[in-house]
Amino acid sequence: MRLKCYPSVEEIPSEVDLAVITLPAKQAVVALEQSVRKKVHFVIIVAGGFSETGDEGKNLEQMIRDLIRGTETRVIGPNTVGVLFPYTGLNTALTPNDRLFFPGRGEVGFLSQSGALGLLVMDSITEYGMGISGFINIGNRADLGEIDALELFEVDQNTKSVVMYLESISDGESFFKSLKRVNRKKPVVVLKTGRSRESTRAAASHTGAMASNDRVFGGVLKQVGVTRAFDETELLDFGRVLAYQKPPAGKRVAVITTAGGVGVLTTDLLTSTDAHGRCEMANFSEEEEAEMRKFVLPFASVANPIDLTADGSTEAYGSILDILVRSPYVDAIIAYALPQTPKINLDIVSPLTVAARSKPVVAGAIGNRLSKDILRELEVARIPAYPSVSRTVAAMKVLCEYGEYMRRHGNE
Amino acid sequence: MSEAKQVSMLEKDAKELLSKHGITVPRSIMSRDLPDSSGLHFPVVLKVSDDSILHKTDVGGVVLNIGSREALEKEFKAMKLKFPQSAYLVEEMAPPGVEFIIGIIKDRDFGNVIMLGSGGIFTELYEDVSFRKVPISSSDATEMISEIASRRFCHGFRGKKVNCDSLVELLLNISRIVESNLYPIYSIDLNPVIASEKGVIVADAKILLANTI
Repeated sequence: MRLKCYPSVEEIPSEVDLAVITLPAKQAVVALEQSVRKKVHFVIIVAGGFSETGDEGKNLEQMIRDLIRGTETRVIGPNTVGVLFPYTGLNTALTPNDRLFFPGRGEVGFLSQSGALGLLVMDSITEYGMGISGFINIGNRADLGEIDALELFEVDQNTKSVVMYLESISDGESFFKSLKRVNRKKPVVVLKTGRSRESTRAAASHTGAMASNDRVFGGVLKQVGVTRAFDETELLDFGRVLAYQKPPAGKRVAVITTAGGVGVLTTDLLTSTDAHGRCEMANFSEEEEAEMRKFVLPFASVANPIDLTADGSTEAYGSILDILVRSPYVDAIIAYALPQTPKINLDIVSPLTVAARSKPVVAGAIGNRLSKDILRELEVARIPAYPSVSRTVAAMKVLCEYGEYMRRHGNE
Repeated sequence: MSEAKQVSMLEKDAKELLSKHGITVPRSIMSRDLPDSSGLHFPVVLKVSDDSILHKTDVGGVVLNIGSREALEKEFKAMKLKFPQSAYLVEEMAPPGVEFIIGIIKDRDFGNVIMLGSGGIFTELYEDVSFRKVPISSSDATEMISEIASRRFCHGFRGKKVNCDSLVELLLNISRIVESNLYPIYSIDLNPVIASEKGVIVADAKILLANTI
């Protein structure tokens, strides 16, 4: 590869910003010691075999902390794939490109306690061309942890929302404060594992018997208005909607579709309460409905959900969306771009983009061929778009809930 | 966290603490012998008062709904036979209402957390509870109520209505007591809290103090 090599980091003549140590655990500690002497700013220790393996590993991890205490060197890991920053091109993951894709530039900051899950999720989101502002795998967090990563994304100019996968929390009090502060500026989504009930609490207390870790964690997230994801798909779905759209001023949603069934199903899911809350169906005025009538076939529905039927075209979408954007009875719009009828094609992205400049828009496109192309184009336009009714609706609910939290607690 | 044992406050002391902070508890007297006139209105509740007994109901240490002086004398005698070494608490019975549970526990990650739940058997049957980290704001308290099924009583349900402003006040009050660090509180169980249109009354209170010695 014609790269210049040195026998040790200390023999590199210039200053070193970042060292990635790919040696096994014991040798990694030796290389860290050299890096500290060299005053390397950041060190990523890839190897496992530390605190996750037992007492010997715990001692090695303690050596990491001892070595950097009071120095300028900060450590990411051990047991980490490191970081990915598409805006600078830095990628420390040692995964070959023929196995996994890496996302390009985007607005969602991604921090993960698990390396492999992080890599797989990043590979998945490239399917529709989603990008990220950065990925940080905190691993065993011997030094830098979730709060440091969160605060990095807080000040990073490219980041508009933060998503995090966590298995445990290192410092609940500080985490609570950071989450509360950051979430007001940049919405945060958390997926935390370990939901099964903890049985070690004193049964002496009724409250204690009810207080599973998961319930307490869920309550705390609500208290700081942080969105909760229950799986890895939701995590990135919600990160996207919160990064791309401003929260709506209320919960009244207009739905526009070219398939009656999709509209009815959306109504059912949107108005039923689940873990992500509920929204309301907007009621249009008679004048608005009369105006919409001009752009649709006589048998189309201009009551919410609006069904343009098989005649629905890009032009009709544009005209109807214009009315919805101006309506004082509509806070947000779900627009489906469904490929089963002849007049819907990639041009649909344009009226949705125009509408999204004035009101929050979440889009859905169901199907395989044209639908996937539409989803990719919408992603380029930063319209959050999803390949199913349930994912589209969940994203809208999350956006509404965040808006409601900010209305209630924004001034605290 | 240390493994220090906690000490249970006597129910009478726990309720005095709450009362000092403006929380409504039933009028009561505590005694080893039944006084000639208690000054309490019937019906009353008779409870054994002994810091070695945490679950009074489980050992037959609670008699509810005693309607007359004669009945009270009879129950008092029986209680003395069962727990000869203890003192006894006679309390006015809280008027009927909707039952809630409010509690405090120390969470490993987040420290003191407060819980509100639908009371009685529904707490555990439906696990209908809501948690927040202490201290809470008044909108936090309102949102806790909105998360449990019994929120419907705030606007009236099946002829029962609850003054939910007083429920919010109680939650805030408990949060403030814990946050003040005036007492080394380890955990609190207010169960039941009985709520009606007139307000809320704490019918039973268990407070564990961290043993600071």
